[in-house]
Amino acid sequence: MSAVLHAHPESGPALGITDTGKNRRVLSEAGMRGRWWRFALILAITVIVLVPIMVTVVLAFTPGVNSTATGLTFENLANVFNGTLAATWLQNSLVTTLSTVVVSVAVAAPAGYVLSRGRSKAVSGYSLLLFVMQSLPIITSVVPLFILFAGMGLVDNLLGITIIYVGSTMTVATWMMAAYFDSIPISLEEASWIDGCSVFGSFTKVVLRNSLPGILSTAIFAFLLAWNDYLVAIVFLRSNEIFTLPMGVQSFFQQNATDWTSVMALAVVMMLPPIIVFATLNKYFSVGGIGGSLAGR
Amino acid sequence: MSSTTAPSGLSRARRGLAPGGSGAAPGRKSKLSAQTTRTFFWLLLPSVVLLVLIHGYPLIHAAVQATHDGDLLQTGNFVGGENFANVLSSPAFWKAAQFTLWFTIVGVFGSWLVGLGLALLLRTKIPAGNTFKVLLLLPWVVPIVVSSTAWNWLVATPDSLIPSIFRGLGLGTPLFLADPTLASITVMVFKVWVSFPFMMMMISAALASVDTTVYEAASMDGASPWQQFTQITLPLIARSTYISWILMTIFCVNDFPTIYLLTGGGPVSATTSLVVLAYRTVFQDFATGPGVAIAFLMTMTLVVISVILYRQIRKSSVE
Repeated sequence: MSAVLHAHPESGPALGITDTGKNRRVLSEAGMRGRWWRFALILAITVIVLVPIMVTVVLAFTPGVNSTATGLTFENLANVFNGTLAATWLQNSLVTTLSTVVVSVAVAAPAGYVLSRGRSKAVSGYSLLLFVMQSLPIITSVVPLFILFAGMGLVDNLLGITIIYVGSTMTVATWMMAAYFDSIPISLEEASWIDGCSVFGSFTKVVLRNSLPGILSTAIFAFLLAWNDYLVAIVFLRSNEIFTLPMGVQSFFQQNATDWTSVMALAVVMMLPPIIVFATLNKYFSVGGIGGSLAGR
Repeated sequence: MSSTTAPSGLSRARRGLAPGGSGAAPGRKSKLSAQTTRTFFWLLLPSVVLLVLIHGYPLIHAAVQATHDGDLLQTGNFVGGENFANVLSSPAFWKAAQFTLWFTIVGVFGSWLVGLGLALLLRTKIPAGNTFKVLLLLPWVVPIVVSSTAWNWLVATPDSLIPSIFRGLGLGTPLFLADPTLASITVMVFKVWVSFPFMMMMISAALASVDTTVYEAASMDGASPWQQFTQITLPLIARSTYISWILMTIFCVNDFPTIYLLTGGGPVSATTSLVVLAYRTVFQDFATGPGVAIAFLMTMTLVVISVILYRQIRKSSVE
């Protein structure tokens, strides 16, 4: 701890130059040594933390028990896609997740605008309601929804789980959109009102047009929630060809001896989209959704 | 204190600039408001409909189910508070409540301490610091279904990698998922592993808005590193810390996959949390009434807690 804090004076704003310019040689010998000690420490921590993820990737490309292949192989991936419904599961996951993202943003953006601009008691009451709803265990609504959806043919149905995903992402998504809209100055809208624009017009033409980062963070949040969900899937999905990827991965464990290399191959397929989204949209990746929006409001 | 952080700056902008807010011109406000109210209504409508369908209706239906003795197909007869009485007098419920409490305490403070340590470490000059920052977020990004599979492979059986390493070091063969105490600890460590990146992000974001010259001034005045930490750093991250504790508490209490996918609630029922117990009661024992009653008790507790906390957050952001 003390090593960490000792470092503060040297990590002041002026130090931004140190890496690029050679004009700053004030860093003491001890300071440099400290840097490399911290580097070693964080490297060790990172390696330990990432062991489960590295294990997943390595096993996915290691030849299976009955395989003749040596070294690293794509055999497991091929086996999983040929021998199981992996392609269908992947497609199901993509369809439900992308629908959730689109609908969730489409519902949350207008509602977030009202939360951001509205001043009435009703609006702040609704804001409180959203906060309370997001904190409730989804298991409470899952059972009644199961009964309701059973009557409507929405159990074991991708539309059914998509509706639930939209419902459960919507609360936080609305908060996130509202937090972003808060940062857009009202003066921009006022200018458009003077030009005869309606409130709805200024919302779509002025506010939404300037909200791409907010929309992207909300979309990432909805994506991760829908893609990673397990509880709704295990309750609502029954047949193999309707499974999403989480159910597909878990279906390997119902057999007697787990075929680890195949599970890991499918696990790699499943973790790839979130990692790609995260890697490409890193700067829009806000702090776990509601965390950022709460901190921002 | 809050004036140094960007977020409160935003909310200040919002308070001053929102239409119909105290800052808006009173004359234009009344002209706009009728049209505005109508537009607001239509903009909010889809959200309200979904909220009623996915949250409101089920909550009411859950209240009905919790007071009946039915199953998943029929509501059954009205039994009043019998389900609640049965649940509250069953040892399984209190055992699950106790596990949930420990799981939450360890989950919240464990991930906070790890996240805080890493955020402070990553804040200093470290070669390739940003790369580490991104890599360390992976446990939060990777789906629980995937990471629980990996953890299972690492610890589940006596011949798994980690027990083998323990054996190799002459430390015996720990049964990480078969021994009740050890399984509880393993699940909590797994939860901390999944959650610390969230804490790290929250704290890093709070630290990023701090002017580092404060520290220079403090060390010139002879403040020790520990004093700097307790007198400067902790107060500056207090609000973020508070919010992250609240959220992590909610995440932990409501957590299902982290526990269920690693241990299934076992061995016996050592790692059965309230959510897992409710799930098992409804979908494995087919006792809808008691299962929903468990979920309902949790719900009521969380409603009370979250309303109180919401007020507190709102109050602290106005300061």
